[in-house]
Amino acid sequence: MMCPHMEAKLNEHVDGAQAAPDRASLEAHLSGCAGCRAAIAELRSLSASAASLPRSIEPGRDLWPAIADRIRPRATWNVQWIKWRRALAAAAVFVVAFGIYRLVPPSAAHYRPVGQGWVAVQADVDRATEELSRIFVAERDRLRPETFALLERNLAVIDAAVAESRAALAGDPANAELHRLFSAAARQKVELLRWAARAAAS
Amino acid sequence: MDPTDLIHRAQQGDRAAFEALYRAHVGRVYALCLRLTADAGQAEERTQDSFVRAWERLGTFRGESAFSSWLYRLTVNEVLLGRRAEHRREQRIVTADDPAALERPRPAIGGAGMALDLERAIAALPVGAREVFVLHDVEGYRHEEIARLTGIAVGTSKAQLFRARRLLREALNR
Repeated sequence: MMCPHMEAKLNEHVDGAQAAPDRASLEAHLSGCAGCRAAIAELRSLSASAASLPRSIEPGRDLWPAIADRIRPRATWNVQWIKWRRALAAAAVFVVAFGIYRLVPPSAAHYRPVGQGWVAVQADVDRATEELSRIFVAERDRLRPETFALLERNLAVIDAAVAESRAALAGDPANAELHRLFSAAARQKVELLRWAARAAAS
Repeated sequence: MDPTDLIHRAQQGDRAAFEALYRAHVGRVYALCLRLTADAGQAEERTQDSFVRAWERLGTFRGESAFSSWLYRLTVNEVLLGRRAEHRREQRIVTADDPAALERPRPAIGGAGMALDLERAIAALPVGAREVFVLHDVEGYRHEEIARLTGIAVGTSKAQLFRARRLLREALNR
């Protein structure tokens, strides 16, 4: 049986964490105490056994299905970048929208709801492109030059986001987040074009 | 498959690569959870939580340490956070009638009997002493690291370790 007051010192000795002076004093104690010598042997054996326990224990069942249900596809680099582009486009929309709002009569500045869903968004994009061509050809002279310039700059930003989403989707057509990003960018474009069309017509 | 490639692919969102990482490490993660919680059900939950958290945080892994070290440290955090966050369920002591709780560890030095006795004795330790013993003597963490992970003082970590060893020696000598 170890001397009760020696517990910390014996443990530190086994762990190699004892200062040199303490070690000398302990060794002097050990030379005359069989109980502490036996305790040290036990502590060493215990530590060795603990360190030798199996490092790996397989669970009783496969845990992967539950984990797979809980993990969602992570946004990849492309998606993150497109998110940034989208945020920039959104900021640009706000800036240009505010500029246009100040340049055209207030009654002209309102939105019309757009279609929902992937097919509807693509149809909206196609219609918007046609609208854009028509506006630029037929109505551009009715817009103030600064309005037109703002509109053009903003559309360029949105178009870049749409093109990037399309390219990413071509490589990963099943990616739901890319669909969402493309839809959002396209919808922004549609909304802006409708607004611009109304502004030119008013 | 090259582990670095698997990690890189998993970081890009490849779930199949992440599953391969899971298969490679689940035994080690589960063993850690089982010894820290002393409960097979909790160990399964914490194992799942750890891999979900690893998936969420894979982007922060920069390869400065081994992936396994990163994962096991994250696992320890999950177990300790889980214990703090939840209302601690009454500590369950593993008995000889509950083989699922220890999943039949393979023989260690001293034979199967000694290893199993030690596993049972560890599982029966008070929670604070058990956590420190598992982290220090089984997993090889230093007291400073244990103090950081568990939020206790270095001196407390040492005291818990010495207490754990005393209780284990008593249990194994019985």
